[in-house]
Amino acid sequence: MTVQGIVFMALSWTFILALSVFCFYKIFSKKDID
Amino acid sequence: MAKKVRDSWGSRLGVIMAVAGSAVGLGNFLRFPVQAAQNGGGAFMIPYFIALLLVGIPLMWVEWSIGRYGGGFEHSSGPGVFHSLQEKNRFIKYFGVIGIFGPLVIMIYYTYIESWTLAYSFFALLNKYSGITDQASMQAFLRGFQGLENNQYFSSIAPAYIFFLITFALNMVVLYYGIRGGIEKFCKVALPTLLLFGLILAVRVLCLGAPDAARPDWSIANGLGYLWNPDFSQLRNAKVWLAATGQIFFTLSVGMGVILTYASYLKKGDDVALSGLTAVSMNETAEVIIGASIIIPATFVFFGPMAIGGLASSGAFNLGFVTMPLILGKLPFPEVMGFLWFGLLFLAGVTSSVSMAQPAIAFLEDEFDISREKAVKAFAAVTFILCNGAIFFLGKGVVDELDFWGGTFCLVLFATIEVILFGWVFGINKAWEEVHHGADMRLPRIYKPVIKYVTPVFLLVVLGAWFFQEWLPKIRMDNVPEDQRVYILVTRVVLWLIFLSLAVMVKVAWDRKKKRGVAQ
Repeated sequence: MTVQGIVFMALSWTFILALSVFCFYKIFSKKDID
Repeated sequence: MAKKVRDSWGSRLGVIMAVAGSAVGLGNFLRFPVQAAQNGGGAFMIPYFIALLLVGIPLMWVEWSIGRYGGGFEHSSGPGVFHSLQEKNRFIKYFGVIGIFGPLVIMIYYTYIESWTLAYSFFALLNKYSGITDQASMQAFLRGFQGLENNQYFSSIAPAYIFFLITFALNMVVLYYGIRGGIEKFCKVALPTLLLFGLILAVRVLCLGAPDAARPDWSIANGLGYLWNPDFSQLRNAKVWLAATGQIFFTLSVGMGVILTYASYLKKGDDVALSGLTAVSMNETAEVIIGASIIIPATFVFFGPMAIGGLASSGAFNLGFVTMPLILGKLPFPEVMGFLWFGLLFLAGVTSSVSMAQPAIAFLEDEFDISREKAVKAFAAVTFILCNGAIFFLGKGVVDELDFWGGTFCLVLFATIEVILFGWVFGINKAWEEVHHGADMRLPRIYKPVIKYVTPVFLLVVLGAWFFQEWLPKIRMDNVPEDQRVYILVTRVVLWLIFLSLAVMVKVAWDRKKKRGVAQ
């Protein structure tokens, strides 16, 4: 696996995990945004 | 007559699980890794994430929003939901027929493929294929099971048909119990279970190292490299961008009409913005993190760098049903590993197929005022007959034809129509307000022009390119073998009949309502 491959995999995983954490954090700490 | 009580979701997590369950299907574990490996590896993720951000996520929000809006008028399927967007327009509801037709066509063959995964999970537990150690014999096992040939493994299609009956019945039972009592309950158990199965398999595969000491380069790191090392030259190829966009459609179940139907059972003040995004994030976790860590790296480790190109291009089903059983057979506890793999595919399949049936059932319930039980029975009777065409003419190209019209063409067409209706006919300002009604998060402002301009233009370009490049060869059946043409022709006639029947049913339903003076 090349360094570029590791970077692409790491970036993709990070993006998706960050999105999941953001969504579930918002759901379980529901607050009024308006 | 007492007014029917409208079905609804029991909890927010329930609807998210159901939508994510609809999105997480066989494609996450079989189609995505193959597409990525064949289209530039890591570089494929560039068009993939661009398509996710510009098409997938906006369409997810559009479908959730128009579904919830239509549900407020007691409509849960394409025709009624579209009609509610602009009631004065007499024709708009007919575009919604595609949102029933597409998923129905997919379900005709999908349930059968889903039943193979159930059968194979039993075969794994019972060691039915454990003695097979080469590709050709495993291929023969699959062909025998599918009834495509009589061989030492299977002498008829009967076992496959029995597993199909069980799978079909399970789907109908889930649907019979409704949104809250059937689909939501099932998805709340099935989705976490399949993610757990996937996680166990992914961890097991990632811990393989280089199992053959004589071939140290046949390692899991190089297997991951095969999938993730970027080939930037592929980005100049339009085919790669189309493949990435197509994968986003398949994986998120957008453009089918099923999310629209599921969202129609929300209450007016329920959030759609965060829920839609959460369903996307769950699907992407299942696809990019879990799905990509199983089949391609495992195939690389056991078959090596020379063979994997050929195996990957042999198709997702070949990898899933021929190569994977051979690989899992080489691991400790092959019965358990095989059961986890096919069990995972089966659960992913059922959570998707019940969602494909729901638009048609909701249409019968809402527009013809019949009970859920009767609607499920009528749907079961019709689809059961249609499924038999896919089962007995599998080797004649029928499934590929159904997949093209139901699973590819209708998806892009319906998505284009709904995003234009939402952004232009309903109006982007009203649409923006609708998305944010009851929302637990604000959409980035950039998505307002994205929904109005970028997504429709992106989709129109894809549709236009298809018409320009492939319309005539497809219609003329240029790539269809001579002996299969009559089967393809009959399939097309049946598809037209289904579509026209649905359109006539829409007219009848609205005429009846008009006569009865029901507010539409």
